[in-house]
Amino acid sequence: MKNEHTNQRVEQAIANDARTNELGVRIDCIDRRVLVRGEVASEERRAAVLEVVREQLPEAEIVDHLRLSDAAQPPRRAEVVQPD
Amino acid sequence: MPRGDTFLRIAAVGDVHMADDLRGRYAPALAELAAKADALLVAGDLTQHGTLDETAAFAEEFATSKVPVVAVLGNHDHHSGLDQEIAELIGRAGITVLEGEGVVVDTPRGRIGVAGAKGFCLGFTGRCAANFGETQMKAFTQHGIDSAELLRRGFDDLDEAEPSPDVRIALTHFAPTTSTLRGEPAEIWPFLGNHLLGEVIDDARVDLSVHGHAHAGSERGKTEGGVPVRNVAQPVIRSAYRIYEIPVRVTAA
Repeated sequence: MKNEHTNQRVEQAIANDARTNELGVRIDCIDRRVLVRGEVASEERRAAVLEVVREQLPEAEIVDHLRLSDAAQPPRRAEVVQPD
Repeated sequence: MPRGDTFLRIAAVGDVHMADDLRGRYAPALAELAAKADALLVAGDLTQHGTLDETAAFAEEFATSKVPVVAVLGNHDHHSGLDQEIAELIGRAGITVLEGEGVVVDTPRGRIGVAGAKGFCLGFTGRCAANFGETQMKAFTQHGIDSAELLRRGFDDLDEAEPSPDVRIALTHFAPTTSTLRGEPAEIWPFLGNHLLGEVIDDARVDLSVHGHAHAGSERGKTEGGVPVRNVAQPVIRSAYRIYEIPVRVTAA
């Protein structure tokens, strides 16, 4: 199977699966390793994405490069917005 | 407009994708918002899967803000087919949800006019769907065309408002320009925004256009006509919200 097809199939599963519905996760299959990249909002969502990947590619070694969203802090300063 | 106030302060965030696992994440920052901003705009994708439980989590979290909150829905909020119920539930929490409407928020510092619509895909010059061919393709394209017409209706409401607002803002989920999509692969820009939204904004004397949806895009851009555009998707701004200070238009007496 071509890796591109596998990448797309797993990305679609992550987008469509009700446990995840994550549209911004990217998959790169390299031999028997699968690299999982993108940003998720919580540890629970990271675990759900990895679970879907594991179900799709049960034989693969999963390399988790998912990034957790930054904490929702207030901004340090306001921006003055001027038209052109 | 009280004398001495020369600008209005607009807080904005989009794509919070709320669910139970994110409860409490925004509340501390929202609790101090009243000292910093006159209103809060939420640019769609209030929920992760568009369920009523997630909507309740969003409403409880964002109703803690002590400033008026105005929102549009996003594509995630439509996923479970409950968009009407979501809008009603959020409305009962005191948050205004716009889809083809305009509202003037009266604050102690002035009147903030917001025209809101979700928007939709379609694309931009050179990368744009055409209203041609299969029924399914025409339906896709027509929804993009209709979404811009809804935004125009929102500005019609602001035109008719008496007294007129001191500032005019466009609130959408989808992007009205490619300038805030930089960072996203160009191949998916037609799924992230719609040039007709930008045309409406350029026709409508807008002070600021706010959108979300493009998580890997850029915060700052402008329409072809020079209207400032801000992509406030939370993964872009990496904070609870942004605050924009908008100078009030000076009109002849």
